Amino acid sequence: MGGLKIAACQALSVAAILIAWEAAVRWGLLDPVFVPAPSSILQVLGVTGAEALPRLGETLLKTLLGYALAILAGVPAGLVLGSRPTAHAIAMPYVVALYGVPKILVLPWIALIFGIGLSTAVLSAAVFALFPVVVLVAAGTRDVDPALVTVATSMGASRAQIIRKVLLPTVLPSVLTAMRVAMVFALLGALIAEMLAGNRGMGFQMQRAALAFRAPELFAATAIVSVVSISVVLFLEHLNARLGRWR
Amino acid sequence: MRIWLWRLGLLLIALTLWEAVARMLNPILYVGPSQLPGALARVLATRDLPPLPGHAWLTVSEIAAAYVLAVAGGLWVGFLLGLRQTVGRIYEPLLATLYAVPSVVWYPSLMLFFGLGPASKIAFGFFLGFFPVTLAVLAGIRQVPATLVTVAVSMGAKPWTIFRKVMLPAMASTMVGGLRTGLALSVVGVLVGELLGARAGLGYVINYAYGLMMTAEYAALVVLVAAAVLLLDGAGALIEARVKQWAG
Repeated sequence: MGGLKIAACQALSVAAILIAWEAAVRWGLLDPVFVPAPSSILQVLGVTGAEALPRLGETLLKTLLGYALAILAGVPAGLVLGSRPTAHAIAMPYVVALYGVPKILVLPWIALIFGIGLSTAVLSAAVFALFPVVVLVAAGTRDVDPALVTVATSMGASRAQIIRKVLLPTVLPSVLTAMRVAMVFALLGALIAEMLAGNRGMGFQMQRAALAFRAPELFAATAIVSVVSISVVLFLEHLNARLGRWR
Repeated sequence: MRIWLWRLGLLLIALTLWEAVARMLNPILYVGPSQLPGALARVLATRDLPPLPGHAWLTVSEIAAAYVLAVAGGLWVGFLLGLRQTVGRIYEPLLATLYAVPSVVWYPSLMLFFGLGPASKIAFGFFLGFFPVTLAVLAGIRQVPATLVTVAVSMGAKPWTIFRKVMLPAMASTMVGGLRTGLALSVVGVLVGELLGARAGLGYVINYAYGLMMTAEYAALVVLVAAAVLLLDGAGALIEARVKQWAG
């Protein structure tokens, strides 16, 4: 089966689900108060989309700021932990433990200190994205074969040469993976912060639409956020593939 | 042994720093570790707070229900898609794409549909746990060497025997990893649901303490829940290691 056929089957399946959904609402199997039909979601998509655009922009700004914080702190931390076995042995259990703790638990405290504004969501995004970055980069750095470094040194390579020719090509893929994974986590952190303690942004809008039983608006907002997130991830994947070819 | 001492030292340094910083700042917002035991005692004695055991039990049952559903659904869909190659090639990318969406966007819709009671938390915990289990089954099936299956079939093995003797050992370590991730995410799903809006459960108690600015009690609850989560994940890691040993 070729790629085109698979894509056609995928499109058909999605269409079939949407038609079945529409039919289920029309025939009264699903209550439109809770699950609106795709057609009614489509009707409000224009209005909700226009309303959502500035809010989405705000949420994405928070996401990007938190993302930048997480990368700036997480990549160096991961490199240090990955390249120093003693530091790794001492500190890694704590990093893994913090990685395992549900981050939402500390969110109320962040909100208590920083209020309901921009900084709470930014910090939340950073906290959600930081630990996956540290863990992934540390694991990637540890994978560098020490024998390669020894051989390069014995052949008279300088420190800069070793970093450029040996370390960078091996470490870069894990850094790029971390940068892709961190984006979804940062967006998750920003949205949760807005839902829990926000008065603006996309997460807040969705939470409010749910509590006000405005189902079509809520589903439209969900669709918009999903499409944006998937596009960002696909874009980063595409970038990764390009960089991979360059290497 | 030396490593353990260093680890302990690091923990002590972190706690001392935390205590020192907390003492300098507003005591309503910043709670030092020295206040945690007292707060924990107050939480357990349920002074000024909703009774903890009942809420904890509700959260545990929600997690159990969500996880059982996630495992059942994930195994079913995983094998359904994995054992038929064309079906898998059509639907696996669609499933993987959904993974790229920050999961919390689904929660408001679930809350609208299932209400503020336990059902919406179970649904969200199921939803989060379902994906890693499904994807791990799919990845596991791909790891089964096709030649071994062919050989077993040609030697007259029955489907069940092939599954038990050929497929299961080849898939086990991947699958168990997915089951462990699924459990962690089911826990996260239930906790997120409870914190974003509930009338009962541990998340509700945490929100209650936070809403009344009982920061010490809030911190004690967070430490308690985090420790429980880590303990559960540690048990999962032990089981995972056992299964990996068995599968070789």
